[in-house]
Amino acid sequence: MIEVQRGRIDLEAVVDSVRRDDAGAVVLFVGTVRKDPGVRALDYEVYRPMALRVLGEMIDRAKAKFGVVEMSIVHRLGRIPVGGDSVAIACSSAHRSEAFGACAWAMDEVKRIVPIWKTEPAPKVRSRGSHR
Amino acid sequence: MQVHVKLFATYRELLGSRQLTWSARDGLTLRELVDEVLTKYPRLSGHRDTMLLAVNQAFAGPEKVLHEGDEVALMPPVSGGSP
Repeated sequence: MIEVQRGRIDLEAVVDSVRRDDAGAVVLFVGTVRKDPGVRALDYEVYRPMALRVLGEMIDRAKAKFGVVEMSIVHRLGRIPVGGDSVAIACSSAHRSEAFGACAWAMDEVKRIVPIWKTEPAPKVRSRGSHR
Repeated sequence: MQVHVKLFATYRELLGSRQLTWSARDGLTLRELVDEVLTKYPRLSGHRDTMLLAVNQAFAGPEKVLHEGDEVALMPPVSGGSP
């Protein structure tokens, strides 16, 4: 499963998408919007066709590099409030070590080469009325 | 020939446009195209060293020769994910 979407991420569907009878381990990583000073939400923007292509190539490389059985990556777009899920990566493998390794590697790659950008929304400017 | 230049995130905000249609001579390289864009839009010139380049949705080096109708992307460093 590879998705870049505006709606909320269905984590259970992401996990189910990598379940296989020959996989004894499923690892799910969820990236969320962290509360930092002044941050109430983040805006995510994508170069969609390239992101989908790069994510597909990443999954092929993860299978070759770690021997994982299946991998799914779903990234959310648009405005995501603090605490919301921005990205989910699920990975299945025969044993847990490959899935843990592949999941960590995939998240690093997402941040390095997938054309998705996040920005902090500009704070609302409160207009000052003339009445008291 | 014409190529389509797509701009993202801070670059889109700096130029106020998502896409430019660029008329160029045949055989132009990606490096030469970037030179031309930065000459016309010097607001982008400070970003050259960190700019990511792609042609037709694949990362590309500066010596890549462009062709009619190519989709060129000028991209700031990516920042997907949260942690």
